Amino acid sequence: MTAPAPLRKALRPDDVEVFAETIGHFFERITGEKALVRTAYLLEAGMPLPLDDFNGLIQVQGDYQGSVCFAAPRGLLDHVLMRMGQHEYSDADHLDVVGEIANTLAGRARRVFGEGLEITPPQTFTRAGKPPPSAASSPPLVIPFTWQSYTAVLIVHLDALV
Amino acid sequence: MTMKLLIVDDSMVIRNRIARLCQDMRLPNLEIVGLAGDGQQAVALAEQFRPDLVTMDLTMPKMDGDECISRLATRLPETRILVVSALSDKTTALKAIKKGAQGFLHKPFSDDELVEALLELMR
Repeated sequence: MTAPAPLRKALRPDDVEVFAETIGHFFERITGEKALVRTAYLLEAGMPLPLDDFNGLIQVQGDYQGSVCFAAPRGLLDHVLMRMGQHEYSDADHLDVVGEIANTLAGRARRVFGEGLEITPPQTFTRAGKPPPSAASSPPLVIPFTWQSYTAVLIVHLDALV
Repeated sequence: MTMKLLIVDDSMVIRNRIARLCQDMRLPNLEIVGLAGDGQQAVALAEQFRPDLVTMDLTMPKMDGDECISRLATRLPETRILVVSALSDKTTALKAIKKGAQGFLHKPFSDDELVEALLELMR
């Protein structure tokens, strides 16, 4: 006899705040300048993910199922790399740092969600790439933010297992 | 006395940042003996160079940091390990310390925080 599938539920508004805080914290620590987190929205069924020049995706397992994806334009990543002390950038550097930011944002969320938010090493891809399918069934939540003149998004596509 | 440092992180940008900080800033007594992108490579380099200090990421492909810490603690018990990870829950930090790490630094870290954490382990 197979075990019944666990019940799933969407994230709560408080959970969304956790991810918004991780964005603000990251940019303030790395660059000394705050990011302006804008109003989050649910992506309508059938709409494509708002990917960007470079994208870093973290698969989530454990008490939560799905993924967290950080999507950013090249210019924003150039600035972050510069603030991290790097002065020459290749596409490999952009993919590396976009994955590292995704990992850092998802990892910091464990401060609240705990170790039940199990995360994998990042998968990275350019705008032309295809994201792996998500294990979540609830609609993706998009958290846009502005840092300097750049806009980027964190796409949180998670179900909480009950 | 010069101490040998091995840097372990799956991000090339982070490996380079830590290496650059160690070379540019206030750590003249550290010699970087290797950069590893995963736990397997870290164990191999550690056995080859027998570092005094290791900065260790946790979320990595092939072999994660937890497993790598366990192996280094068994094979090179004199090596001191500073975990540098984004995993911010308390349980993860406690587990790493129990397995054999001596310090834990959360990402994202400032230049000063990294230098301070390394100096602490060098004392």
